[in-house]
Amino acid sequence: MEALDATIHQPARLQIMSALTQLDQDERVDFTFLKDRLALTDGNLGAHLTTLEGRGYIAVDKQFVGRRPKTYVKATAAGRHAFASHVAALNAILSPK
Amino acid sequence: MEITPEDAAKALQEIKLSQAAMRSAIRSHRGHLFLWLWGAIWCAMATLNWIDPFRFATANNLLTAAGVLASFAIGIIQGRQINSRVDRRFVGVVAAVLLFGYGVIPLVTHSFQASYAEGYAVSMLTWMLVYVIGGIWFDTYWLWVGITVTALILAGYLIWPALFWGFMLLAGLMLVGTGFYVRHFWR
Repeated sequence: MEALDATIHQPARLQIMSALTQLDQDERVDFTFLKDRLALTDGNLGAHLTTLEGRGYIAVDKQFVGRRPKTYVKATAAGRHAFASHVAALNAILSPK
Repeated sequence: MEITPEDAAKALQEIKLSQAAMRSAIRSHRGHLFLWLWGAIWCAMATLNWIDPFRFATANNLLTAAGVLASFAIGIIQGRQINSRVDRRFVGVVAAVLLFGYGVIPLVTHSFQASYAEGYAVSMLTWMLVYVIGGIWFDTYWLWVGITVTALILAGYLIWPALFWGFMLLAGLMLVGTGFYVRHFWR
């Protein structure tokens, strides 16, 4: 049986992982674009991304576009797997075999 | 970690809402703006060429140039929001198809000198080959856009040549319609 993942289950991180796993495998999303979609603040999103990155669930890529710094975020294969397992565990709680 | 069924249901609901919001945002980056832009340009060019292709040759060139510039602008703006690694092998394939479609094959067939409609058909078929290859390569809707527009070009050119520009107008409308489908329903 799949186990719940405490890192992912936190509401904001659940939102972030739900959003990032909708992108294609190779796709990444701009920090500001993601922040606006999820209605989170800079600090809040940044802190949760750091936690998820620490677990290896997301990859953060910082680069300069012209002179402006841009941060791109994507779900890793490990993150996608962990999220799928977490959703399976939630479903199992609702309909145990 | 243990949670109640109520909390699990609430979490699943949150997941669904976040996924739906992100899906809508992702759909806005799946090419509908390009389909609307080029669909509108195709419609305009088909209408002008139906009236008189030689009279509106400059307008056709200006429309194409405006489309290319607008496409670059859309690509740059949207690419800053959601992007992925450039597939260099695919870029190479596109370059090869365009080189053969516009450069190598016309050297033998002289298709751009035969008639305006023939040159136009060859040009559009070259781009539809790019769509078909891209559709297979990335497993996307480009495939059926490429096949359908190719069928319209061939039907107009080979079966009903008097209505060729009408078929091109239909192809443009199909691109616009596909844009709406992609924006609202594509995965």
